[in-house]
Order: sequence, then structure tokens, then C-alpha cells
Amino acid sequence: MDNRARTLIGWAVTVVLAAVVVVGLVMGDSAPQDRVEALGSRIKCPVCQGEAIGDSPSETSAAMMEIVAEKVAAGETDAQIISYFTARYGDGILLDPPFAGRTLLVWLLPVVAVAGGIGMILSRRRPPVNTART
Amino acid sequence: MTATIGYLAILFAALSSLALTVQGFRGMRNPARATVAKLQWPVYGLVGGAVLAMIALEVGILNDDFSIAYIANNSATTTPFIFKVASAWAALEGSIVLWGLVLAVFVYTVYRGVARRSGPDLLGSGALAVMGIVSLYFFVLMATVSNPFSICAQPASIGCLEAGHWPWADSLAALEGRGPNPLLQNHILMAVHPPMLYVGYVGMTVPFAFAMAALMLGASGTEWLLRTRTWTLIAWSFLTAGIVLGGLWSYEVLGWGGYWAWDPVENASFMPWLIATAFLHSSVVQARRGMLQAWNFVLVIATFALTILGTFLTRSGVITSVHSFTQSPIGPALLWFLMVVLVASFGLFAARAHLVASSPRLDSLASREGAFLLNNLLLTVFAFVVLTGTLYPMFVEAFSGAQVGVGRPFFDRLAIPLAFGLLLAMGLGPITPYRSARPDIVWQRIRNPLRVALGAAALAVVLGYRTPWLLAFILAAVFVISVIARNLFVNARTMATKRQMSFPAGALRVMRNDPGYWGGQISHLGVAVLAIGIAFSANLSVATDITLTPGSTESVAGFDITYVSSFTRQESTRFVSGALVEVAKNGKVVSNLEPRLNQYPTSTQSVATPEVDASWNGDLYLSLKSIDARQVTLGVFWFPFIWLVWVGGFVAAAAVVWSRLVKKPSGERLTETRASRDG
Repeated sequence: MDNRARTLIGWAVTVVLAAVVVVGLVMGDSAPQDRVEALGSRIKCPVCQGEAIGDSPSETSAAMMEIVAEKVAAGETDAQIISYFTARYGDGILLDPPFAGRTLLVWLLPVVAVAGGIGMILSRRRPPVNTART
Repeated sequence: MTATIGYLAILFAALSSLALTVQGFRGMRNPARATVAKLQWPVYGLVGGAVLAMIALEVGILNDDFSIAYIANNSATTTPFIFKVASAWAALEGSIVLWGLVLAVFVYTVYRGVARRSGPDLLGSGALAVMGIVSLYFFVLMATVSNPFSICAQPASIGCLEAGHWPWADSLAALEGRGPNPLLQNHILMAVHPPMLYVGYVGMTVPFAFAMAALMLGASGTEWLLRTRTWTLIAWSFLTAGIVLGGLWSYEVLGWGGYWAWDPVENASFMPWLIATAFLHSSVVQARRGMLQAWNFVLVIATFALTILGTFLTRSGVITSVHSFTQSPIGPALLWFLMVVLVASFGLFAARAHLVASSPRLDSLASREGAFLLNNLLLTVFAFVVLTGTLYPMFVEAFSGAQVGVGRPFFDRLAIPLAFGLLLAMGLGPITPYRSARPDIVWQRIRNPLRVALGAAALAVVLGYRTPWLLAFILAAVFVISVIARNLFVNARTMATKRQMSFPAGALRVMRNDPGYWGGQISHLGVAVLAIGIAFSANLSVATDITLTPGSTESVAGFDITYVSSFTRQESTRFVSGALVEVAKNGKVVSNLEPRLNQYPTSTQSVATPEVDASWNGDLYLSLKSIDARQVTLGVFWFPFIWLVWVGGFVAAAAVVWSRLVKKPSGERLTETRASRDG
């Protein structure tokens, strides 16, 4: 087999495999995630130490999970359910800090860090004139 | 008597640390004074004092000497031998004794290195002086606010109510000790996990001390890096193993159904790991290309500061979490030390940076250096994210009084893309040449690994795994593994042809020629396997609670779970109540599991012990949530391929053995070794 044919077969294999992965992703079960469970992982158990109500075995958590389940069954949106809990317990009840208010900064700081890091790396590059091979 | 001996040993170790600092600095200033003899006695004194203090504590514990407050509150006559031994470091004061002992051992190994060199060793003397300061701090801590040998001034019926500081004062022994925290005496891993983590934490003192000495001497170059490489790798390895063991402990003992919760104490060990990992990589760039000299100082200072921050977070009770079982004046003491470390070391760095900063610049971003920079950027940002998320609620509460929650969803959301980027850098790095990479060369090297990775992802799709992040991680991790395999294959083939040896012999020769590089690659292999394991357990785990009456069955994740009966039994140290559960798959009984609740006499809280049926494709994990006469509530979890997490983690940690213990074949030329890296 000559080189040209081998290259072509190589490309064909690559493309077919990539196609399978892409098709799999597109058709993929976008995991109809259990909303109760998802919400349960975002709300902190108020009597435990940093555990989510979905993870904690305490009775308080169990009762709160039941409220979540009832509200999901009643057709309330995630935002409505979250604000129900923040109204009663304050923002400290959330494990998932909102992108606003007091917790806006906790999301912005990593972005600033990435930008600063990239800036530092770019400034370390040799000026383009010198990149020509000698 | 034991208490007095132990306390005097601590004072002796503190004085020896002071002497070491003085002699070390004198040696650094004046080469004529940098003699081994001057350093010898302070080092021996420090090691002797630290060992004696630990022995005194262990002797007291094993003899049930409840006149010592620490022992009365953390051990009991009924505690099994192994947990008695471990209770010497299971609580605050004792853990600092272990810290001091580990530090003393590191001081000794550094001293041995200094003693072996001929002629004055300014850098080594300075490093020993810095280690003397750190050790002085910890032994003074033990002699003051965190005294493990405080006597019991007012005993309770169980344990000790009030401690008196001076060990030679009159003491009253409690009749029975309180015993270790039930969570801690529930599993043997608790005897192993903290010492490993401490070796990791404390070991980072060595590169820090050498870096400080290099700054004080204004010594640029790689001497401090190369001399401390072994310690850095050993510390990193233990830190890695300690973190993985912590995850395993959490999984086996806590019963909440997971191994990592982004708990502040887990974060406290993960942050120094991330920065130490960045340091391991950037020091390679400095050694090979002379770049990043100043950056390496920053990383090594940050690593050391983060180990102190970690100790502060864990031991001060400043954050409430399952690990923060103590509150004491040690918090402010550690915070002050952290401030002093930060101000002194960064101050020294700022004053001397002009002497040690390197000039070589980056030729092109598309190069091995570029991949290392990407790795460093991602690791430091990762550490910064963990630091921000961990400290943010504390700062908000301190300054505004308001409570905000930053927990698992926050960390997951940012950690997943960062980890994915790290895997990509890990795959692309080893096949990218230094200086500047030509696209055709890179493509020629990655096309086969890329096909293998696509093949693995396609296979996963065919097998029915279609979660996007899972596929992305399989793709990236298999790419990393096949790049390593390709490099080994290509180099082994060349070696075998050139030297007329068999292919396996050629592969072994290639790996022995450059143990540092191949140790790193084995570690990468472990991390890739770990990443696949985490991706599976994070995306495809099943978790649910079921309530069963005796004889009834429910199906979870393809298993039929039948509650057979309840049982209770009295064990030597605990009262156990549990459920006998039969697990069947496709009508065939596969296992009988006994998830339990353990009740310890010295504690009111009961501790759940989950039971796991492990198989090649995953763990069925049962944890007992509640049990009464009528029914039982079980947490049922299915963790696919979770063993990949443990195996990958330990391979990553153990790979250091290859990079440090394998001897290069004699007569091998270095140039050839280097060439093999780029092949």
C-alpha cells in the first residue's frame, strides 16, 4: 500500500470515529436530571456542617427535601423554589452562590485571575522580531 | 512523670531549634563557620527532643495515664491498641507533636545532605536555619498554647474538665478516658491518613527553606531547585497519597455516599497540592530552559504558606465542617505565623527578585514551554478558585455579618473545565518540542493517539455512555494515556534497533535512561485513570434512599435489594445495630451486606458504617440511615468504575518511586537521554 492510500485511510478512520462521537453527543440522553435531586444538591442543610440537604441524613434535611419534592410536583420553577428557601433562611442557605449581589465577586475573581495570568504569559513572549529562526 | 519528661523534651527541642537557627545563619554569613560540627548538635538535640516527646505521649496513652488532660480526653482503657497509638495524633495537641517529629526528621535528612558535601555549604546552612525557625515556632506552640502534656486539674467521671498547664503541678487522674472521636476510631485509615498528609505538608518546608536561603544569599540559578527536587517529590507523593486516602476514608466511613465534597478541610489539603504540582512542572522549565526563576520562588512560598493556611483552617475551628473538631487559642497563633511567613518571605522575595529573575523569554506559545505555562496557569487558577470559594464566606461574614454559602455546585462548575484543560495540556505537552513546535511535527505525533482517543470515546458511545462531560473526559484522558504509550513505543523501537535488544528490553532501557521524565509520565498515567474514574462516578452514579420492611425487596440500578432482618451485637468497644441485606442481580444472589450503625460508649452520636459490594464495573454501596423494629431506611448508591479513582490516585503518588529510586544505566550519555524526551 502506498503512503497516499495509508494517509487517506487514516483520515477516513479519524473522521468516522469523530462522527460516531459527535452523533452520540447529539443523540445523547441529555440526562433528564431529577429536579428534586438537583435542587437538593444546591441547598445547604441548616443544622449540619456544610452538607447539602440531598446528602445529609438529618431529619431537617429530609423534611426540606420533602418540601422541594412537593413544590416540584406542584409545578414551581427552580427559581421560585430557591427563593422560597432564601426568604426563610437567608442567602447562606445556598451552596450555589448566585451571580449577583454579595456573591457576584466570588464568580468574578476567577475570571480576573485567568485574565491576569494570560496577560502575564503574553507579556513574557519574545517580541515578534526575534522569533525568526536564526 | 511522663508528662514532665515529655514537656522537657519539647523545651529541649525548642532550644535546639533556636541553636540550629543561630548556627545556621552564622554558617551562611561566614563560610569559615559553616562547619558540620557546629550544626550537628542542634540537629541531634532537635531530633532527640521530638522523638522523646512522641515516645512520652505514646507511653502515656498506652499506660492509660489519665492525669494528662490530652490522654483523658482522647483515649480510653477500652480503646483498641492500634487506635490508642493513632490517638497520639488524632486531636489537635497531639497532631502538632507529630508535625514537630516529622519536621525534625526532615531537618535531619537535610543535615545529612549538608554533612556529605565537602567544603562550606552556605545554601544548606541557610536552609537549616530557616527550618530551625519553623521548628522553633512549632515547639514553642507545643510549650505554650497547644501543650499536649497539660495535666488534668479537674477530672470528670469520664475525661478531663479542666487542664492545668504545668505538667509538674498536682494532678488528678480521671478514672476513665473519653476515647477518640467515634468517627476516628471507626476505621483503620484514620491511623494512616493524617501522618501521610503531614509528611506531605511538612516536607514542603524543605524547598521553602532552600528557596529562602537562596534569596538571602542572592543566589540565582537552579542549585536550590535541584538539591530539593527529591524532597519536593517525596512531599508531593505523600500529599497525593494522603488526599486520596482521605477520599477513601470519607467513602468508607462517613457513609454519605461520596469521596469528595469540597469540604473546607479537603480544600485545605488540595490547595497546596495544586500549587506544589505547578511548582514541580515549572521547576522543570527552569532546569531545562532557565525560564521562570522568579515564578518558582513565588510558587514555593505559596505552597508553604498554603500548608500553614491549611493547618489553620483545619485546626482553628474557623470553619465548621466535619473535620473541625477542635477550638483553641491555637487559631490566632497559626494566623499570626501565616502572616509572618507571608510578609517575611514575599518581602525577602521583593527585595531580592532583581538578583534571581531570569532573562530568557518565551520563543513561541506553541512549544513545550507553552504547554508548561498553560499547566501553570490552569493549576494556579484552580488553586485560586478553591481558595476564593473556601475563604469567601468567611470574609463576607467577617466584614458584613451576612452569611453566604459557597459549596459543591460552585466548585464543580469551575473545577470541571479547569480539570479538562489540564488533561489537554497533559496530553499535548509531552509531544510538543521545546522552543517552537512546527504544526506538521505535532500533527504527525498526535494523530495516532488522537485516533485511539476517538476510538475509546466512540466505543463509549456504542456502549451507551452519552453524557457530554463523560465523553469529553474519556477522550482527553485516553489521549493522555496513548500519547505516553506512543512516546514509549517510538523510543523503545529506536533503542531496540540501535542496541540490538528485544523491544521490552528497549522500553525498559528508555525508561531507565530518564527516570525523572518517565516517573512523571507514570504519574500522568495515574492522573488520567483517576480522571476517568471521577468522570464515571460524577456522571453516572445512582443515589437513592429506600425504606424496606423485613422480607420486602426494591430494585435500584439493576440490583434487587432485600431487607432480610435486623441484628444487634456487642463488640469489645462498641454496640452495633445493623441490617442484613441480600443483594441479587438477574435473580442470582450476589452478596449479603450488613450496613451498620456503631454506638460508642463514650459518645452519644452513632456512626454509620456503610458496606460495599465491589466488582470490576462498580461498587454497590449501602449505608444505613435509620432502623427500628418495623422498617429500615437505606441509602443505596451505585458507583460505576470507582476503583479507577483509587488505583489512579495511588499510581500517581507512587510514580515518584520510579523517578527517584531507579538508577540510570552506567555509561549512558546525557544527550541521548535528553533526545528521547523529544522523540
